[in-house]
Amino acid sequence: MTLYRSRSFANAVHPGNTLWNARLAGVLALVLCSVIISGCASAPRLDDATQDALPRQAVIEEVPFHGQRDYQCGPASLAMVLNHSGVDIDVDNLIPQVFLPGREGSVQPEMLATVRRHGRIAFPLDNRLEALLTEIDAGHPVVVMQNLSLPAWPLWHYAVAIGFDLDSNELILHSGMEPERIESFRRFDATWARSERWAFIALPPGEMPAQVSQSTAMQAITDFESVQGPENTLSAWEALVERFPEAGMGHFALGNARYATQDPKGAIAAFRRAVQEDDTLAVAWLNLGLALRAEQHLNEAAEALKRAAELPGPWQPRARQALDGLSAG
Amino acid sequence: MMKTICRYLTPLIIAALVLGSMPVVAAPQAASASDLVTTQDAMDSERGQGDRERIHEILARDDVRDQLVAQGVDVAEVEARVAALSDAEAAQMADQLEQLPAGASVIGALFAVFVILLVTDILGLTNVYPFTR
Repeated sequence: MTLYRSRSFANAVHPGNTLWNARLAGVLALVLCSVIISGCASAPRLDDATQDALPRQAVIEEVPFHGQRDYQCGPASLAMVLNHSGVDIDVDNLIPQVFLPGREGSVQPEMLATVRRHGRIAFPLDNRLEALLTEIDAGHPVVVMQNLSLPAWPLWHYAVAIGFDLDSNELILHSGMEPERIESFRRFDATWARSERWAFIALPPGEMPAQVSQSTAMQAITDFESVQGPENTLSAWEALVERFPEAGMGHFALGNARYATQDPKGAIAAFRRAVQEDDTLAVAWLNLGLALRAEQHLNEAAEALKRAAELPGPWQPRARQALDGLSAG
Repeated sequence: MMKTICRYLTPLIIAALVLGSMPVVAAPQAASASDLVTTQDAMDSERGQGDRERIHEILARDDVRDQLVAQGVDVAEVEARVAALSDAEAAQMADQLEQLPAGASVIGALFAVFVILLVTDILGLTNVYPFTR
């Protein structure tokens, strides 16, 4: 539309000079395009707190590099972070676990799921450059998803960020066929922003990201537990309540994992701590009561179940039922 | 003699086969009174997730299984891949596998696209061709 207009405008000024018209139209179109495109890509600026907290340079040594074959940047990136966290696996074994032949690529949910399969917890990062650099500084290599091309012709790509230099504004990545590739923050952020700055790290249970919200960590560990079971997850919950001592739900989850691994006394202690931190947490009162009842502490069980039954919410019917059962028995 | 044996045996075999081929009727897991509430259930309820979403997510796994097979994933691998997904991820895969970006690093490019991307590469907006750096 714009093109057509500019052309007819040019025609009015220089009737008959078609070459000049075409050139003008082309220049206008190019200018328009670059204005539109560059509007969404300026060099990222780090906030001051992060600038102060981070060293000028950081590189995580000993992240093994696996060059990708064909379309397999997903399995290659996974192999690098898994190897770095001590999992002995190579790209050939990961390909059938994460690669989708029909899509000739790997999708994000399966990248996270495959980390879980190998006994590591996948923590998605906040979608900010600050979060990415902070994890690198903490020694955690970060898997990032980029669209190296434009949104209209996407070229989706996974790479592993392993270092940065704040003086030259550069990021260091194991990417594609190239180990320790250097990309400017500007170019990296332009390509990374197209995946909504998607990134994650893979950590063994018991280790926590340098920066993480309580809800993200809770969800990541819950998802891990449903694949790897409570025994392998105990240390992750312990690390979580150490980071967030005031998190009622964290103590509740720790209590459940302890209960499932034949530690009812530890479980009861964790449930007590949960309701001490948050006395409106009905589900923790309920589990405290049920665990106490199983241990034959009937009076204390009745007290806890009563608290659970008083709190409105989805657990009320079950608490009432358990309370009735207790007084009947 | 043979005929009479067959006459009695056939219905038995048919019945056995029919029963065997029926899926085990999944009894709804009535939470026994001594079972504690699982962390997963507590988290779902915290997220304000109703039963309807829960059921949707559980059914999603069957969909994902079919889709993975259709995408050419080795049948022996499908089960383990589906099992490693969280409920939310399974629902996401079932609903929008076609739209999800798949990291692959190849581009089916026309010449015009090649030129445009070359320019944007030089401008530092994209990173398609290594020689532009």
